Amino acid sequence: MIKIFIDEEPVEVEEGTTVLKAAERAGIHIPHLCYHPAFPPEGSCRMCLVEIEGFPKLELACSTVVKEDMKISTKSERVVEARKAVLEFLLAEHPLDCPICDKAGDCKLQDYYDEYGLFESQFKETKEKKEKKIKIGKHLILDQERCILCTRCVRFLKEVTKTQELGVFHRGVHSCVNIYDGAVIENNYTGNLAEICPVGAITDEDFRFKTRTWFLKEGESICPLCSRGCNILIQYHAGFSRFELPKRVYRIKARENPEVNGFWICDRGRYGYSYIDEGRTDQIILNKIERENVLTRENISEYLGEKIKSVASAEKASGIALILHTWLSNEELFLLHKIFRKGLKVEKIFFADLPQGKGDEYLLTSETSPNRRGAQEIGFDIKTVDLDALAKGTDFLLAFGPFLSGLFSLKDLKAALDKIKRKVLFSPHSNELDSLFDMVIPVALIAEKEGSLTNVEGIVQDFQPVLEPPGDSLPEWKVLSDLGKELGIDSDFFKKFPTPETILSEMGKTIPFFKRKND
Amino acid sequence: MKEKVLTEHFGLENLHKIDVYQKQGGYRATEKALKKMKPQEILEEVKKANLRGRGGAGFPAGVKWSFVPPTDKPKYLCVNADEGEPGTFKDRYIMSHNPHMLLEGIIITSFCVGISVAFIYIRGEYEAIALRLEQAISEAYEKGFLGKNILDSGFDLDIYVHRGAGAYICGEETALLESLEGKRGNPRLKPPFPASVGLFQCPTVINNVETISNISHIILNGAEWFVKQGLPKDGGTRIFGVSGMVKNPGIYELPLGTSLKDIIFKHAGGMKEGKKLKAVIPGGMSAPILTADEIDIKMDFDSLIEANSMLGSAAIIVIDDKTSILDVLKVITKFYSHESCGQCTPCRIGNSWINKIVKRIAEGKGKKEDIDNIVRLASNIEGNTLCPLGDAAAMPILSITKKFRKELESQLQP
Amino acid sequence: MSLEFSEKAKKKIEEIVSRYPQKEAAILPVLHITQQEFGFISDVQEKMVARILGVKPIRVRELVTFYTMLSRQSLGKYHIQVCTNLSCHLLGADNFVDYLVEKLGIKPGETTPDKKFTLSTVECLGACERAPCMMINFNYYGDMDPKKVDEILDKLK
Repeated sequence: MIKIFIDEEPVEVEEGTTVLKAAERAGIHIPHLCYHPAFPPEGSCRMCLVEIEGFPKLELACSTVVKEDMKISTKSERVVEARKAVLEFLLAEHPLDCPICDKAGDCKLQDYYDEYGLFESQFKETKEKKEKKIKIGKHLILDQERCILCTRCVRFLKEVTKTQELGVFHRGVHSCVNIYDGAVIENNYTGNLAEICPVGAITDEDFRFKTRTWFLKEGESICPLCSRGCNILIQYHAGFSRFELPKRVYRIKARENPEVNGFWICDRGRYGYSYIDEGRTDQIILNKIERENVLTRENISEYLGEKIKSVASAEKASGIALILHTWLSNEELFLLHKIFRKGLKVEKIFFADLPQGKGDEYLLTSETSPNRRGAQEIGFDIKTVDLDALAKGTDFLLAFGPFLSGLFSLKDLKAALDKIKRKVLFSPHSNELDSLFDMVIPVALIAEKEGSLTNVEGIVQDFQPVLEPPGDSLPEWKVLSDLGKELGIDSDFFKKFPTPETILSEMGKTIPFFKRKND
Repeated sequence: MKEKVLTEHFGLENLHKIDVYQKQGGYRATEKALKKMKPQEILEEVKKANLRGRGGAGFPAGVKWSFVPPTDKPKYLCVNADEGEPGTFKDRYIMSHNPHMLLEGIIITSFCVGISVAFIYIRGEYEAIALRLEQAISEAYEKGFLGKNILDSGFDLDIYVHRGAGAYICGEETALLESLEGKRGNPRLKPPFPASVGLFQCPTVINNVETISNISHIILNGAEWFVKQGLPKDGGTRIFGVSGMVKNPGIYELPLGTSLKDIIFKHAGGMKEGKKLKAVIPGGMSAPILTADEIDIKMDFDSLIEANSMLGSAAIIVIDDKTSILDVLKVITKFYSHESCGQCTPCRIGNSWINKIVKRIAEGKGKKEDIDNIVRLASNIEGNTLCPLGDAAAMPILSITKKFRKELESQLQP
Repeated sequence: MSLEFSEKAKKKIEEIVSRYPQKEAAILPVLHITQQEFGFISDVQEKMVARILGVKPIRVRELVTFYTMLSRQSLGKYHIQVCTNLSCHLLGADNFVDYLVEKLGIKPGETTPDKKFTLSTVECLGACERAPCMMINFNYYGDMDPKKVDEILDKLK
């Protein structure tokens, strides 16, 4: 460790740390545009210039490595003037597109001008004219006039995807970024380009003109569309939406996690968020109404408990069947395993998931659900649904998820399900399955509940709710926690209403895989 | 009486042919170096000679070579023959008149530093010169001065000519390396310096043509002799290139420390008929301008720095009183704007912006705040760029706006 | 129609590529040969060069647009490049350009209809002692005046 001084405050950092990173650690933000932690320093924007004692010129914070006793100033007059100068140069040739630019509110140039600029423009000449609407990717539009030539996009495609679709052409002030002869970028990581662009040069068509960034709130979540478990940010409208209700989610962004997804997410995860708002079931659907019951969120478990108890006894456990899926959280799967596998000794437990996809060599796995590993570690034998085995001798079916309809024809499903006396479906989405079950209970998505998931590499990741479950939807674990109590299983555990936090803690005690270092 | 080091035989017919060159004593230095000296001895001699770089920066050659660390990787020598600094044409003379003198310098330098592949990066426009160099290289191979086990010394060397394609920035050493590696001529961040991480990530020495051309003379005649031809701290001569409004533009090899006034009025014949001196650019376009009153100055590295200018490439451009300084500024700002690689913000945008202002003034639409703005913008470029091109642009602009402000202001709208 | 380098060019390219530890380093020399063979470097030539050197065509275009001497468009048989930098400017480069504009009937950047001459203004050619100067293809001509220009151009077929 070495000691340096930043703005006269002593800071201790490891050898080899850059001034930029050292300042970050000390809570000081040094403005920068071309630097991105995923790539080696580029040094071309000149925004991060700082004053270092003993150095005649201002030096780059992004690439200068600290030395013992270095005295750095991020606020001296020279530094303040240099930042203004760089901003002035950038803004001189930058089009005043803010009123129509999607990046407004999220734009580094705006932010830095607000903080370090605030000068009147002295540029009285004609700005350079370049192309403003080039489709460079399936969702991407490039505006060359807004581009500040930080080359993050070019470097991303060179270093991360290694596909090199973008290049810098011409020289000097005529320099511009572009694709080659309309060869649109088609890899699975294009969305990251719009995210790393510090200004509105690369914008996302998926987000284009839909809303303003300052109307958005964001929350941390985990992408469930494959088993990588990339960390994401869900950006949603807080309170009101100019467009179709009840659309809430407007954008998914990547969240840094060095162990799981680094800095990036794939396009499948970024653009596949329509499942959060579209086609949701938000009310309890009753097809075969039991006249004596009025079902609400509060008494579902009571009702289910009653029905299961009437079916389940030691000999008649064979009358119960379960169809699960691997979008369920670790906690939910654990409760299901505890209640039905261990508690009621149910044998007919099947899994219905989305069909396998095609993974890539980077983040996207071929497994299209987030918690297969979790289900395995909890002890489930992941059997696919066999309709005959399912229906044979089954009096009560508890099914989770809408995925069955993708695996079998409606005709076959109806034939099998008609043989089963009682059948309840927990699903977030409405589809043809609804009419085949006695009742459909609306459930919350991962974005709307708390819990944890186990990714393909065995990393257990917590998640918290970002959105409210719509209407009467509720998380599966709540129903299961009540159900366990109703069924009198492991009363020590279920007597105090288990929550995901206490459930995970219990899992750590009983399954070595889930033991956490701080338990 | 000081002697000429480099141009002594320049008038000789067919000097570029190896037989003629050898008859003048050519390749004797190579024999001496490879057969009778050790690399360390050669390095000491070059250091003692106080040979400073003749490309523009003036960095001591021996010191630069000593920065190359011991390594298992191959080492490279790049001879900078890009000669893009406006006003400069001396290397063109050396390479077309006496290419073998350059090759000898390359051989001895490479032997000293432990280099087995050397590239001559020559500007694309010098196609005829490149051909001449290639012919000379062929001749050198034939006579056993290049290739494997040169003169039974165990030392191998290949020299290749690599042509540029029209980019002044490729005269900057790290941009040269990028260009040689097949990329756009974008300068690199320093550190690391080319001596440790250079061509193909290997230790590399980069020197100007004139610098290397002095090496054989230092070896043959000794460092002491070399120093005597110049100044105690700056050994040797410079080939001054004089152009502009003089009677006899051309190259003049003279000792370091020669007076600028003498160079213009004694050697280059003075001003053209009917022209009066107004200003002189002493070291290539990037060197801050001197007024007619400031030419009583010694042409050496330190004297010019004291006068807030620089010796640079020793290219002297003589400007007369009928030439508009605004036009001069227009030519200068157009040049740097055109040649900026575009990588870093201040140079890319600043140079173009300043050029736009100057063009507007030249169209008669200059406003009173324009000169102040030009000064402010140029000051914001200086010291803030990734490579020296930013400074190379800012310095002449700042010196011209300072020393000729009245004339520039007279061009503005009232 | 598939375009190929001449046998002579192919041989030269092979020799050049062997000089460098990395194939990509040979791009610029190969582009010079390409421009010599075909007169310009369009997307067809870009792809050829890219194939030979194992790089993507986009990398080739980055270079063709960076370096002033490489051209994406076809040029006239004789490319007249007039220096307009400082020493040449002092010695009347502007008038020199005006004279050529009048004589050829084209502006800088344009080519004559019979595709014989392309006129360009360029930066310092490194022949300042012979200002004002020009380069036609790769031949240098200095100390220019209208009479000399007429002589030189009339000789070019």
